[in-house]
Amino acid sequence: MSSVAAQIPRAISGPKHRAPVWWMILPALVLLVGFLILPYVSIVIMSFREASTRAVYGEGFTIAHYRDIVTDPFIWGIVWRTIRMALIVTVATLLLGYPVAYHLARTRSRMSSLLYICVISPLLVGLVVRTFAWMIILSNNGIANGALTGLGLVDRPVQLLNTQLGVTIALIHVFLPFVILPLLGNLQAINPEVALASRSLGASRMRTFFKVTLPLSMPGIQAGSILVFVLSISAYVTPAMLGGTQGRTMAVLVVQYLVDNFRWPAGAALAIFMALTTLAIVVVYLALTARAMRRLP
Amino acid sequence: MNMGRTLWDYAFLGIVTLIYIFLMSPILLVVLMSLSGGEFLAFPPQGISLRWFGELFSNARFLSAALHSVQLAAVSAVVNGVIGTLAAIYVVRFAPQKLANGLRLLMSAPLLVPEILTAIALLFFFFEFGVGNDYPIAIQTGHIVVTFPYVFLNVASALFNFDRSQEEAARSLGAGNWMTFRRVTLPAIKPGVITGCLFAFVISFDIFNISLLLKPVGMTTLPLELFDYLRFNFDPTAAAVATLSIVVTFVAVLIVDLTVGLRSLRF
Amino acid sequence: MTTLTLDRINKFYGTLHILKDIDLKIGQGEFISLLGPSGCGKTTTLRCIAGFESISDGRIRFGERDMTNVLPEHRDLGMVFQSYALFPHMTVAENLSFGLEVRKVPAAERASRITRVLEMVKLGEFSGRYPRELSGGQQQRVALARALVIEPQVLLLDEPLANLDASLRDDMRFFIRDLQQRVGITTVYVTHDQSEAMVMSDRIVVMNRGVIEQCGAPRDIYERPASLMVADFIGHSNTIPGQIRGRSEAGYLVDTADGPLHAAGTEGLSGEVRVMIRPENIDMASGENTLTGRVTKSIYQGEDCLLMVELPSGAGVTTSVSADFSLSAGDPVTLGFPARKSWVIAA
Repeated sequence: MSSVAAQIPRAISGPKHRAPVWWMILPALVLLVGFLILPYVSIVIMSFREASTRAVYGEGFTIAHYRDIVTDPFIWGIVWRTIRMALIVTVATLLLGYPVAYHLARTRSRMSSLLYICVISPLLVGLVVRTFAWMIILSNNGIANGALTGLGLVDRPVQLLNTQLGVTIALIHVFLPFVILPLLGNLQAINPEVALASRSLGASRMRTFFKVTLPLSMPGIQAGSILVFVLSISAYVTPAMLGGTQGRTMAVLVVQYLVDNFRWPAGAALAIFMALTTLAIVVVYLALTARAMRRLP
Repeated sequence: MNMGRTLWDYAFLGIVTLIYIFLMSPILLVVLMSLSGGEFLAFPPQGISLRWFGELFSNARFLSAALHSVQLAAVSAVVNGVIGTLAAIYVVRFAPQKLANGLRLLMSAPLLVPEILTAIALLFFFFEFGVGNDYPIAIQTGHIVVTFPYVFLNVASALFNFDRSQEEAARSLGAGNWMTFRRVTLPAIKPGVITGCLFAFVISFDIFNISLLLKPVGMTTLPLELFDYLRFNFDPTAAAVATLSIVVTFVAVLIVDLTVGLRSLRF
Repeated sequence: MTTLTLDRINKFYGTLHILKDIDLKIGQGEFISLLGPSGCGKTTTLRCIAGFESISDGRIRFGERDMTNVLPEHRDLGMVFQSYALFPHMTVAENLSFGLEVRKVPAAERASRITRVLEMVKLGEFSGRYPRELSGGQQQRVALARALVIEPQVLLLDEPLANLDASLRDDMRFFIRDLQQRVGITTVYVTHDQSEAMVMSDRIVVMNRGVIEQCGAPRDIYERPASLMVADFIGHSNTIPGQIRGRSEAGYLVDTADGPLHAAGTEGLSGEVRVMIRPENIDMASGENTLTGRVTKSIYQGEDCLLMVELPSGAGVTTSVSADFSLSAGDPVTLGFPARKSWVIAA
């Protein structure tokens, strides 16, 4: 402890006494470089290894796995299905999340703390728990079917578990807070007098929203949508629990390769492929929204 | 503030309310189910009973899984509490301007990459080094890595918002540097540290992907056990487990709100 | 261009009565300031005129039109906010164009009006810039331009100079006033700075705790304040407590603990009062009114000396003397001031 005392004080006292303080960041650097960055490199390496029937991987290196992925229609089917689902979830969470964030940013009621808890508590409750709740809701004698048959919209219970639809609905619920929080932060940062200025100039509330508030909330929209998209594509627990074989996604397939089939190199290649497709889509999205972002401070 | 509530305003409030209900109801549902008297997870529940909690507490597997989850979470919180705070102090106070942004990005990296990929990466990495799943080191490291940013960001935020003139005031009153740090700075950032550690604990408690791939033989966590249980059983015991999880989380959130105030949180 | 009438405005916030019987008639092209300490209700009144706050009772009229229940966007006013509230994602020209587009002004006319107004505020070359590229003073002028380009009936300004440096503030006061007179627009200006209000306004409305204390031309407010609050709020004043004993040539004869004083005042005053005398009207020799006392502090201020005098009764008087006078603490002094410059205020 005395060495700590010797190091910290001099650094805080100002530029004159530069004792070495880099040691403070060392453990974190070791953790992140050694146990995050390097491991990711090992995925790449693994994806080029030869497969083996007797061990998780064999001798030598090959690009066969990538070739297999790119030429396999089954895999493309799952890739496309996963991307489509992620896009639907992203759009849906934006449409549902924006009103909530807008309301929460402008409300002055004392309920606002409680409402904030309502927004973040699903995040903290755990993925398995939330997905389990959806299992209850979506099952054949669950609430969803109860409501549908009760309202007379269908004659018999609709199969919602083990379908893509069920997974999509559950993911929308799971990721809604991830879109609300960045939007909320952004909306709260906008000077409230700007909206008043717009109205004083004659713009209706609708026009004020579309011409002033919405453009100024683009950073929040961008951040939230990217976050939800990436989370949706790589989601494992929810598709695994709710999707069955119909609702299988890329992440579920990868885990299957690794854990069930012990095909580590192939699994690694698929994982890299998943990461690259996600990255490509995000880059395209950033490029498309760059114009709207350029005007902003 | 706006003059006159129009029909649009009420419609808007209605929609927002529905979305809030959508957000909260699955959780409320699970709690409700855990109190159900019936045999199956059907809605509406038949009767109220605590028997499923009884089942839970007499189920050795769940209890041992819960214990492991708590262990992993506690170690994650403590380890990250130390290295995260040190890192945050360095990045906010001492890092050269050019490095600061890059370092911040690195420290937040576990949040920016999908957890499943991190799990896979660590799986391969530990295997290459011969450690594999024999020891809990792999799973514990995974938990620590993934929950690190929560501590770092909270402490960094607290430091950033801390008014340095308090330190200058202390020094002008004759306090030495170490004393200033110990009695002025540290207490001021303590809420940030505690909040970060609580978040690390709660997030670690619920981690699934990392635990799935890195768990050693004979050890399991609560989320994994629940997942396995649900493959073959669909009874309210699972709901009781889930409710326990929810209670743990809400208690932690309540502690944070009462001590620090939720709006001060940074993810 | 229109008159603005506030007809007995009352506003409740729950059980708090924050505006009490605000009654005001503002003439066409007039510049009036709402002046008072924070919390007096001046900003709330302005926001009621704008329509951003609702009123519990009373009416607001622009000319003949009753605007009480009209939405802000339909009131045809121009407003300048304390934070300027420029649209950060639009250029200066686009900011100005916004209100014109709402009014469906054709493009060619929009362009010419924008150019003309930017010239008026001397920001002709800045039309393509974004607000973040402008200094505080420039942003302020853009906010003003944006409010004027739509040629509204009424101009409202909410402490627009509060965020500027002191020297810039002085320049901007004259700038805004000149502009307003040239355009001839009815203007309501909120400020807590009394010298600002004095310099710029045709009339000043002094507010305190939701009530109008006095409404009048700057000279009236300064020389003939209606209450103690107004006297203390505007400029420096000395107020000496006393009792009205009778009438005199100038107005009233007031008995004080330090001797009788002759002073002017409004009709019908009696009983407990205070006599106000401004420091600049006090001479270092006896006059129509004379007080004697001792110097407690003499503070050199460069252009003059601030003198604090204690009277036998314990009351204090502040005045200023030329720096050549060599008076120091403890010296006896004689203070004299004319009766017609002394003013009686009800206590």
